[in-house]
Amino acid sequence: MAGADVAAPKHPKKGGKKHKTKKRIAVRIDMTPMVDVVMLLITFFMLTTVFNTPQTMEINMPPDSDVKVEVAETALLTIRGTSDGALYWNMGIEDPQKIEFKELRPLLIDRSRGNPKLITLIKVERNGTYDQMVNIMDELNLAEITRFSIAPFKDIDRQMIAKGLGG
Amino acid sequence: MLRKKNRINIFIDMTPMVDVVMLLLTFFMLTTHFKPPAEAEVLLPMSHSKFKLPESDVMTITVTKEDRIYLGLDSQVLRGRLFGEDYALKSGIEVADKKTLAEMLIQARIMNPKLRTVIKADKNCPYGPIEDIMNILQKVKITRFNLVTELEKI
Repeated sequence: MAGADVAAPKHPKKGGKKHKTKKRIAVRIDMTPMVDVVMLLITFFMLTTVFNTPQTMEINMPPDSDVKVEVAETALLTIRGTSDGALYWNMGIEDPQKIEFKELRPLLIDRSRGNPKLITLIKVERNGTYDQMVNIMDELNLAEITRFSIAPFKDIDRQMIAKGLGG
Repeated sequence: MLRKKNRINIFIDMTPMVDVVMLLLTFFMLTTHFKPPAEAEVLLPMSHSKFKLPESDVMTITVTKEDRIYLGLDSQVLRGRLFGEDYALKSGIEVADKKTLAEMLIQARIMNPKLRTVIKADKNCPYGPIEDIMNILQKVKITRFNLVTELEKI
Protein backbone atom coordinates (compact mmCIF):
# COMPACT_ATOMS: atom_id res chain seq x y z
CA MET A 1 0.00 0.00 0.00
CA ALA A 2 2.97 2.30 0.20
CA GLY A 3 3.72 4.96 -2.28
CA ALA A 4 1.54 5.77 -5.21
CA ASP A 5 -0.27 2.95 -6.80
CA VAL A 6 -1.78 3.25 -10.16
CA ALA A 7 -5.45 2.53 -9.95
CA ALA A 8 -6.80 -0.21 -12.09
CA PRO A 9 -9.02 0.92 -14.91
CA LYS A 10 -12.62 1.12 -13.77
CA HIS A 11 -14.10 -1.08 -16.40
CA PRO A 12 -11.49 -3.53 -17.46
CA LYS A 13 -13.84 -5.55 -19.66
CA LYS A 14 -14.88 -2.60 -21.73
CA GLY A 15 -11.32 -1.22 -21.59
CA GLY A 16 -8.92 -1.49 -24.44
CA LYS A 17 -9.42 1.09 -27.10
CA LYS A 18 -11.18 3.76 -25.07
CA HIS A 19 -8.40 4.00 -22.49
CA LYS A 20 -5.71 4.11 -25.03
CA THR A 21 -7.35 7.05 -26.74
CA LYS A 22 -7.68 8.94 -23.46
CA LYS A 23 -4.06 8.37 -22.50
CA ARG A 24 -4.74 9.34 -18.90
CA ILE A 25 -3.74 7.34 -15.92
CA ALA A 26 -5.67 7.86 -12.70
CA VAL A 27 -3.16 8.17 -9.88
CA ARG A 28 -4.26 7.38 -6.43
CA ILE A 29 -1.86 8.46 -3.76
CA ASP A 30 -2.01 6.60 -0.52
CA MET A 31 -2.46 9.32 2.04
CA THR A 32 -2.31 7.16 5.14
CA PRO A 33 1.25 8.06 6.22
CA MET A 34 0.60 11.74 5.65
CA VAL A 35 -2.60 11.57 7.66
CA ASP A 36 -0.71 9.81 10.43
CA VAL A 37 1.88 12.55 10.62
CA VAL A 38 -0.69 15.33 10.37
CA MET A 39 -2.77 13.80 13.13
CA LEU A 40 0.27 13.59 15.34
CA LEU A 41 1.03 17.24 14.70
CA ILE A 42 -2.57 18.18 15.44
CA THR A 43 -2.57 16.40 18.75
CA PHE A 44 0.72 18.05 19.59
CA PHE A 45 -0.57 21.54 18.89
CA MET A 46 -3.88 20.89 20.58
CA LEU A 47 -2.16 19.78 23.75
CA THR A 48 0.37 22.57 23.86
CA THR A 49 -2.07 25.37 23.09
CA VAL A 50 -2.85 27.58 26.03
CA PHE A 51 -6.50 28.34 25.66
CA ASN A 52 -7.29 30.00 28.91
CA THR A 53 -5.03 32.90 29.55
CA PRO A 54 -5.12 33.44 33.27
CA GLN A 55 -7.50 35.96 34.76
CA THR A 56 -6.18 38.89 36.64
CA MET A 57 -7.40 41.34 39.17
CA GLU A 58 -6.44 44.87 38.45
CA ILE A 59 -5.40 47.15 41.26
CA ASN A 60 -4.76 50.84 41.02
CA MET A 61 -2.93 52.34 43.89
CA PRO A 62 -2.67 55.99 44.78
CA PRO A 63 0.76 57.22 43.71
CA ASP A 64 1.75 58.61 47.06
CA SER A 65 1.09 56.83 50.28
CA ASP A 66 2.08 59.79 52.41
CA VAL A 67 -1.09 61.69 51.67
CA LYS A 68 -3.41 61.31 54.59
CA VAL A 69 -7.06 61.11 53.80
CA GLU A 70 -9.44 62.22 56.45
CA VAL A 71 -12.35 59.88 56.73
CA ALA A 72 -15.43 60.18 58.86
CA GLU A 73 -15.29 57.31 61.30
CA THR A 74 -18.92 56.48 60.82
CA ALA A 75 -18.30 55.81 57.14
CA LEU A 76 -15.35 53.53 57.66
CA LEU A 77 -15.84 49.80 57.35
CA THR A 78 -12.82 47.80 58.37
CA ILE A 79 -12.35 44.18 57.48
CA ARG A 80 -9.61 42.37 59.29
CA GLY A 81 -8.21 39.00 58.38
CA THR A 82 -6.15 37.15 60.92
CA SER A 83 -3.58 34.43 60.48
CA ASP A 84 -6.02 31.72 61.58
CA GLY A 85 -8.24 32.56 58.62
CA ALA A 86 -10.96 34.30 60.60
CA LEU A 87 -12.55 37.52 59.46
CA TYR A 88 -13.64 40.42 61.63
CA TRP A 89 -15.47 43.53 60.65
CA ASN A 90 -16.45 46.77 62.32
CA MET A 91 -17.77 50.19 61.54
CA GLY A 92 -15.78 53.18 62.71
CA ILE A 93 -14.59 52.62 66.26
CA GLU A 94 -16.95 49.81 67.18
CA ASP A 95 -15.51 46.57 68.45
CA PRO A 96 -14.68 44.09 65.70
CA GLN A 97 -17.13 41.26 65.27
CA LYS A 98 -16.35 37.90 63.82
CA ILE A 99 -17.99 37.13 60.51
CA GLU A 100 -18.13 34.06 58.34
CA PHE A 101 -16.79 34.41 54.82
CA LYS A 102 -20.18 33.56 53.33
CA GLU A 103 -21.88 36.37 55.21
CA LEU A 104 -19.37 38.95 54.05
CA ARG A 105 -20.92 39.71 50.67
CA PRO A 106 -24.49 40.35 51.91
CA LEU A 107 -23.04 42.56 54.62
CA LEU A 108 -20.95 44.53 52.14
CA ILE A 109 -23.84 44.96 49.72
CA ASP A 110 -26.11 46.04 52.55
CA ARG A 111 -23.63 48.52 53.96
CA SER A 112 -22.61 50.06 50.65
CA ARG A 113 -26.23 50.56 49.64
CA GLY A 114 -26.98 52.22 52.94
CA ASN A 115 -24.05 54.57 52.63
CA PRO A 116 -22.61 55.27 49.17
CA LYS A 117 -19.72 57.17 50.69
CA LEU A 118 -18.62 54.11 52.63
CA ILE A 119 -14.89 53.58 52.70
CA THR A 120 -13.68 50.05 53.06
CA LEU A 121 -10.39 49.23 54.63
CA ILE A 122 -8.77 45.83 54.40
CA LYS A 123 -6.23 44.70 56.91
CA VAL A 124 -4.71 41.29 56.67
CA GLU A 125 -2.19 40.00 59.12
CA ARG A 126 1.29 39.47 57.71
CA ASN A 127 1.19 35.76 58.32
CA GLY A 128 -2.32 35.39 57.05
CA THR A 129 -2.53 33.86 53.60
CA TYR A 130 -2.48 35.69 50.31
CA ASP A 131 -5.53 33.66 49.36
CA GLN A 132 -7.50 35.32 52.14
CA MET A 133 -6.56 38.74 50.83
CA VAL A 134 -7.59 37.87 47.28
CA ASN A 135 -10.86 36.41 48.53
CA ILE A 136 -11.71 39.56 50.45
CA MET A 137 -10.91 41.73 47.44
CA ASP A 138 -12.97 39.44 45.27
CA GLU A 139 -15.94 39.79 47.60
CA LEU A 140 -15.56 43.56 47.47
CA ASN A 141 -15.57 43.46 43.69
CA LEU A 142 -18.63 41.27 43.67
CA ALA A 143 -20.36 43.67 46.01
CA GLU A 144 -19.42 46.39 43.52
CA ILE A 145 -17.20 48.21 45.93
CA THR A 146 -14.44 49.25 43.59
CA ARG A 147 -12.68 51.68 45.86
CA PHE A 148 -11.08 50.32 48.93
CA SER A 149 -7.95 50.78 50.94
CA ILE A 150 -5.37 48.35 52.05
CA ALA A 151 -3.65 49.04 55.31
CA PRO A 152 -1.07 47.14 57.33
CA PHE A 153 -2.33 45.05 60.21
CA LYS A 154 -0.83 46.42 63.40
CA ASP A 155 -0.68 45.35 67.02
CA ILE A 156 -3.54 47.64 67.84
CA ASP A 157 -5.75 45.68 65.44
CA ARG A 158 -4.94 42.49 67.28
CA GLN A 159 -5.80 44.18 70.57
CA MET A 160 -9.06 45.45 69.15
CA ILE A 161 -10.03 41.98 68.02
CA ALA A 162 -9.16 40.56 71.44
CA LYS A 163 -11.24 43.28 73.05
CA GLY A 164 -14.13 42.61 70.68
CA LEU A 165 -14.07 38.92 71.51
CA GLY A 166 -13.76 39.56 75.24
CA GLY A 167 -16.56 42.08 75.44
CA MET B 1 -12.42 -15.39 -6.61
CA LEU B 2 -14.13 -12.61 -4.70
CA ARG B 3 -16.77 -14.87 -3.27
CA LYS B 4 -14.28 -17.43 -2.10
CA LYS B 5 -12.17 -14.86 -0.30
CA ASN B 6 -15.20 -13.04 1.02
CA ARG B 7 -13.15 -9.85 1.25
CA ILE B 8 -13.85 -6.67 -0.55
CA ASN B 9 -11.14 -4.16 -1.07
CA ILE B 10 -12.44 -0.82 0.14
CA PHE B 11 -10.81 2.40 -0.86
CA ILE B 12 -11.84 5.31 1.31
CA ASP B 13 -11.27 8.65 -0.24
CA MET B 14 -9.37 10.51 2.41
CA THR B 15 -9.12 13.82 0.60
CA PRO B 16 -11.95 15.67 2.44
CA MET B 17 -10.69 14.44 5.76
CA VAL B 18 -7.17 15.53 4.93
CA ASP B 19 -8.53 18.93 3.93
CA VAL B 20 -10.25 19.38 7.26
CA VAL B 21 -7.32 18.07 9.22
CA MET B 22 -4.95 20.40 7.43
CA LEU B 23 -7.19 23.33 8.18
CA LEU B 24 -7.27 22.40 11.84
CA LEU B 25 -3.54 22.00 11.83
CA THR B 26 -2.94 25.44 10.37
CA PHE B 27 -5.40 26.89 12.86
CA PHE B 28 -3.61 25.37 15.81
CA MET B 29 -0.20 26.24 14.45
CA LEU B 30 -1.14 29.87 14.02
CA THR B 31 -3.02 30.34 17.27
CA THR B 32 -0.56 28.53 19.42
CA HIS B 33 1.75 30.47 21.58
CA PHE B 34 3.67 28.23 23.79
CA LYS B 35 3.13 28.19 27.45
CA PRO B 36 6.06 30.09 28.89
CA PRO B 37 8.03 27.83 31.17
CA ALA B 38 7.16 28.83 34.68
CA GLU B 39 9.98 29.75 37.02
CA ALA B 40 8.28 27.94 39.83
CA GLU B 41 5.12 26.03 40.46
CA VAL B 42 2.47 28.34 41.79
CA LEU B 43 -1.04 27.47 42.89
CA LEU B 44 -3.18 30.43 41.93
CA PRO B 45 -5.94 31.81 44.09
CA MET B 46 -9.49 31.88 42.75
CA SER B 47 -11.46 34.99 41.94
CA HIS B 48 -14.41 36.11 39.86
CA SER B 49 -12.44 38.82 38.13
CA LYS B 50 -12.66 38.67 34.36
CA PHE B 51 -9.68 40.75 33.31
CA LYS B 52 -7.47 38.85 30.93
CA LEU B 53 -3.76 38.79 31.40
CA PRO B 54 -2.17 41.01 28.74
CA GLU B 55 -0.28 39.00 26.17
CA SER B 56 2.81 41.08 25.72
CA ASP B 57 4.92 43.54 27.68
CA VAL B 58 4.40 41.69 30.90
CA MET B 59 6.68 41.69 33.87
CA THR B 60 5.82 38.95 36.30
CA ILE B 61 6.73 38.89 39.94
CA THR B 62 6.31 35.32 41.07
CA VAL B 63 6.08 34.55 44.75
CA THR B 64 6.15 30.93 45.80
CA LYS B 65 4.87 29.26 48.90
CA GLU B 66 8.37 29.25 50.32
CA ASP B 67 8.50 33.02 50.06
CA ARG B 68 10.97 33.05 47.17
CA ILE B 69 10.61 35.87 44.70
CA TYR B 70 11.27 35.54 40.98
CA LEU B 71 11.19 38.27 38.42
CA GLY B 72 10.24 37.31 34.90
CA LEU B 73 9.90 39.19 31.64
CA ASP B 74 8.24 37.99 28.49
CA SER B 75 10.70 39.53 26.06
CA GLN B 76 13.97 37.75 25.53
CA VAL B 77 15.78 40.91 24.44
CA LEU B 78 14.81 42.70 27.59
CA ARG B 79 15.80 39.76 29.74
CA GLY B 80 19.23 39.78 28.15
CA ARG B 81 19.66 43.44 28.87
CA LEU B 82 18.33 43.31 32.40
CA PHE B 83 19.61 40.02 33.75
CA GLY B 84 22.72 39.63 31.58
CA GLU B 85 23.04 37.61 28.38
CA ASP B 86 23.52 34.35 30.26
CA TYR B 87 20.02 34.51 31.61
CA ALA B 88 18.30 35.67 28.42
CA LEU B 89 16.96 32.22 27.66
CA LYS B 90 15.60 31.66 31.13
CA SER B 91 12.13 33.01 31.72
CA GLY B 92 13.06 34.67 34.97
CA ILE B 93 15.56 34.88 37.73
CA GLU B 94 15.32 34.62 41.44
CA VAL B 95 15.58 37.90 43.25
CA ALA B 96 17.61 37.67 46.41
CA ASP B 97 16.22 40.59 48.33
CA LYS B 98 13.61 43.24 48.04
CA LYS B 99 16.02 46.07 47.45
CA THR B 100 17.36 44.51 44.26
CA LEU B 101 13.79 43.87 43.20
CA ALA B 102 13.04 47.57 43.47
CA GLU B 103 16.12 48.45 41.42
CA MET B 104 15.32 45.88 38.76
CA LEU B 105 11.76 47.11 38.51
CA ILE B 106 12.98 50.62 37.89
CA GLN B 107 15.55 49.44 35.31
CA ALA B 108 12.97 47.36 33.49
CA ARG B 109 10.56 50.22 33.38
CA ILE B 110 13.21 52.48 31.93
CA MET B 111 13.97 49.96 29.20
CA ASN B 112 10.33 49.45 28.33
CA PRO B 113 7.88 51.97 29.78
CA LYS B 114 4.95 49.96 28.44
CA LEU B 115 5.65 47.07 30.78
CA ARG B 116 2.73 45.92 32.87
CA THR B 117 3.43 44.50 36.24
CA VAL B 118 1.77 41.32 37.33
CA ILE B 119 2.00 39.62 40.68
CA LYS B 120 1.65 35.89 40.53
CA ALA B 121 1.66 34.54 44.01
CA ASP B 122 0.84 31.20 45.50
CA LYS B 123 -2.44 31.10 47.35
CA ASN B 124 -0.81 29.61 50.41
CA CYS B 125 1.89 32.22 50.48
CA PRO B 126 1.81 34.40 53.59
CA TYR B 127 0.47 37.89 53.03
CA GLY B 128 3.56 39.63 54.45
CA PRO B 129 5.84 39.38 51.40
CA ILE B 130 2.97 40.43 49.13
CA GLU B 131 2.41 43.47 51.29
CA ASP B 132 6.11 44.30 50.99
CA ILE B 133 6.01 43.90 47.23
CA MET B 134 2.97 46.13 46.98
CA ASN B 135 4.80 48.74 49.02
CA ILE B 136 7.82 48.46 46.74
CA LEU B 137 5.60 48.87 43.70
CA GLN B 138 4.08 51.94 45.21
CA LYS B 139 7.51 53.30 45.99
CA VAL B 140 8.79 52.80 42.45
CA LYS B 141 5.63 54.45 41.20
CA ILE B 142 4.04 51.41 39.64
CA THR B 143 0.56 52.22 40.75
CA ARG B 144 -1.29 49.92 38.44
CA PHE B 145 -0.66 46.24 38.63
CA ASN B 146 -2.52 42.99 38.30
CA LEU B 147 -2.84 39.96 40.49
CA VAL B 148 -3.03 36.71 38.60
CA THR B 149 -5.94 34.57 39.63
CA GLU B 150 -7.88 31.67 38.30
CA LEU B 151 -11.46 32.12 37.26
CA GLU B 152 -13.90 30.72 39.76
CA LYS B 153 -17.18 29.51 38.35
CA ILE B 154 -20.14 31.08 40.03
